[in-house]
Amino acid sequence: MQAAAPFQLNQQNFQQLNTADQYPQTLQLNRTPIQLKPNHRETTIAAIDTSTIKIGETSTGIIIAVRGATVWKQNRRYHYTRLGPFIFHITEDNKKQVYNTLERAYFTTRYESPHQSAPNLMQMPTRLASLLERWLQTMTAKTVADGLILLDGSLTAGTFDTPVHRMREILQQARKNRSTVLAFSKATTLRVNGYLITDQLPHSEPPYLLETTGLRFKPPTVLQGDVYVARLNKANYAFRLDIDRETPLHQRLEAVERLVGNDLYTQGYPETLRLAHILCTFTANEVIAMQHFITRKHGIQIINRPDMHRLLFGSFGGKGEMYA
Amino acid sequence: MKLYRKEGNILQVLSFPTENAEKGDYLLVEDADADKALIAQVIDVQFAAVPGVLEELLRTLPDGGEPIQGEDIDPMEIAPHITYIQDASLLICKIRATLENDALSPSSSWLPSRSQSTIKKLSVPMLLKLANINGDLPIILGGTKDSSLLTIDASAVDGTLNIVTGKKGCGKSHLSKLLMASLIGYKATVVVFDLNGEYTCLGMTNDGKRNMYYDKIHALTPSQNFKVALDQLHLNVVMGILIHALHLPGTSAREFRRLWKQLKDKGDLTLSSLGEAIRNLTCNQHVRDALASRYHSLVNSGFFTDVPAEAALLEECLLRSKEQGGAIIINLKNTSSIDRQIVVEYVLGKLVDSLQSWKLKAVFLFAEEAHLYLRETYWDDIVTRMRHLGIFTTFITNQPDTIRESIYRQADNIFLFNFTNEHDLDVVSRAARVDAETVRSIARDLPPHHCLTLGRVVHDFPIVAKVRALDLKTMGETRLFFSHKN
Repeated sequence: MQAAAPFQLNQQNFQQLNTADQYPQTLQLNRTPIQLKPNHRETTIAAIDTSTIKIGETSTGIIIAVRGATVWKQNRRYHYTRLGPFIFHITEDNKKQVYNTLERAYFTTRYESPHQSAPNLMQMPTRLASLLERWLQTMTAKTVADGLILLDGSLTAGTFDTPVHRMREILQQARKNRSTVLAFSKATTLRVNGYLITDQLPHSEPPYLLETTGLRFKPPTVLQGDVYVARLNKANYAFRLDIDRETPLHQRLEAVERLVGNDLYTQGYPETLRLAHILCTFTANEVIAMQHFITRKHGIQIINRPDMHRLLFGSFGGKGEMYA
Repeated sequence: MKLYRKEGNILQVLSFPTENAEKGDYLLVEDADADKALIAQVIDVQFAAVPGVLEELLRTLPDGGEPIQGEDIDPMEIAPHITYIQDASLLICKIRATLENDALSPSSSWLPSRSQSTIKKLSVPMLLKLANINGDLPIILGGTKDSSLLTIDASAVDGTLNIVTGKKGCGKSHLSKLLMASLIGYKATVVVFDLNGEYTCLGMTNDGKRNMYYDKIHALTPSQNFKVALDQLHLNVVMGILIHALHLPGTSAREFRRLWKQLKDKGDLTLSSLGEAIRNLTCNQHVRDALASRYHSLVNSGFFTDVPAEAALLEECLLRSKEQGGAIIINLKNTSSIDRQIVVEYVLGKLVDSLQSWKLKAVFLFAEEAHLYLRETYWDDIVTRMRHLGIFTTFITNQPDTIRESIYRQADNIFLFNFTNEHDLDVVSRAARVDAETVRSIARDLPPHHCLTLGRVVHDFPIVAKVRALDLKTMGETRLFFSHKN
């Protein structure tokens, strides 16, 4: 009964696919660490993540599931709210309608995407997940006061699914509630002198930040934050950290220090964000359950299309490490 | 339910929570295209290896180890489906037979269609009907899980060797009393070696009134209402007692045989004249001493008498039972080990004599904890020679390793109660009509008073039943110091 786990996407995968070829040659990394002192003042830490998965194909389209999770740490305890799974049958005919209906329903303002071409059917899972993620981020920014809001990915806007104004709204809302937005990327493609910025760590005692400068993208992509490399504990891992550009420097450092002083760390990654990711991710049995649900409740027949790679190339038909 | 795998005669069936199959249940796997069906019994229930379950369980635990508090907003109500999948179980089933054209065969050599086969639970009444487990002489053993009765045919215990075993206090004696009472009802002759005196009052109801078996229960207590006169004894029986129970050496046995014949020829075969003859015997001092000590053992047992009025005739009880059916209960309670062996030697010798001379047709012998009184050589005798003569034995024990392996291998029926000890289960699983996996898996989980019936009586379809209650004064309860608390 071992089934190959279907490939899951979250917001960060999508962002990287879009920005990978855009990193500028002007990027600089200041290798002098900004040392941090853990600040144990009680602070609410909230993290948001979403996940999407294709659970099958029909004769006219695809069936996808989307789920989002908000985790917050308050009084030394973790709590979560998990939304979904939401299951969609997306076809070439309804893809625009589904997206626009959801956007209208959950966002008061509708911003036109700078990319005019209609999304590909296969991009729809990430676009719907992004929509949910931005909505969860907006709601969190509205409800958390004097806290830290951790996002998965970067503060890059102006992409297919993140209009600049929507990202700006989230950051403004957080600032209004005296909260700071910190966006962690699990992996980055940003390089300086040919090396990944997260691989160029100085021999200093963590926790610390490394500052970058000169990062600019081609319009319409806009960066809403300043990019740092954060090494938050002794684990030999560092992450790209985007901090809201409008936040004053001293407040940025204080925010990271409060994060270090209040959250737990697994390999240098904040536990709150890790839990958000874990809670929204689909497990194989959930996929089976959703297939069961759509077949039983809605009578939708899932088509098992033959894997052409396997069919044509046999054991040489693997799809590389991405699917391993 | 869906057919998942078949390996040898083991089927693996995927079952969902609503289907509610348990150990011991029977399933009918029908392949309509092949026009055949497999009858399989669930011998174990496991969690199905659903991918991702471990991740599902782990993700609610953060580093601190406490479950994370939270709320799931699930507007599409997918959660019950997730639970449904996660709680799917894998039924490990043993194929018992193939059903083809309404006839059963023990074959499991064909493979039903995995995608097309339908699987449903087979009720016990339906199974009994298919397997033709009924007959003219029904014995209701008890109720099965689906509230039907498990009825066996008395003729299926005729000519058979049976074992009733299980751990202490789970209802073995109760079942043997039920079997015994049912056999008496069909006018069978039953002899019981009653180690704890718990069969003596079977003629009474629980509230002390006489029941239908009252006139058919003959309780004989050695040295009380069960004594024998020497002149009633056949020399072979006496020699059996002396050699096997009292370990008389060969030379002394020869001398005793001569003495016995002399006294018999004189017509003076009494206990006192035998004692006198041994005292006056002119022979080797050691031989005389050996005979004298055995003589005193016989006298001290209180089982032998010179008073004809005191001598109860076992033969008479047997003959009476032959006519109307009945049970001769040999009450061995408060009897020493040596005396027990003397009595058992006498009774078995007498039974063999009666059967050989066709005074009796056949006897059902119930032997509780037989290792405490049965001599070594009798074990093989019981399954071979005695069975052919018409002694059909049922061994009742809570120590299965005290019964010889040869008995298990030849047992026709096994009534198995709960055992948790692996060693005990291993011993029982040596029986030829039983498969070890069934015994190990089902017997371990049997609740008290539930019996797994295996063998000829159920046509080799192991069936679990709760043994029915009897309105008999059983007297098998353990005496307790803190009885008011129980």
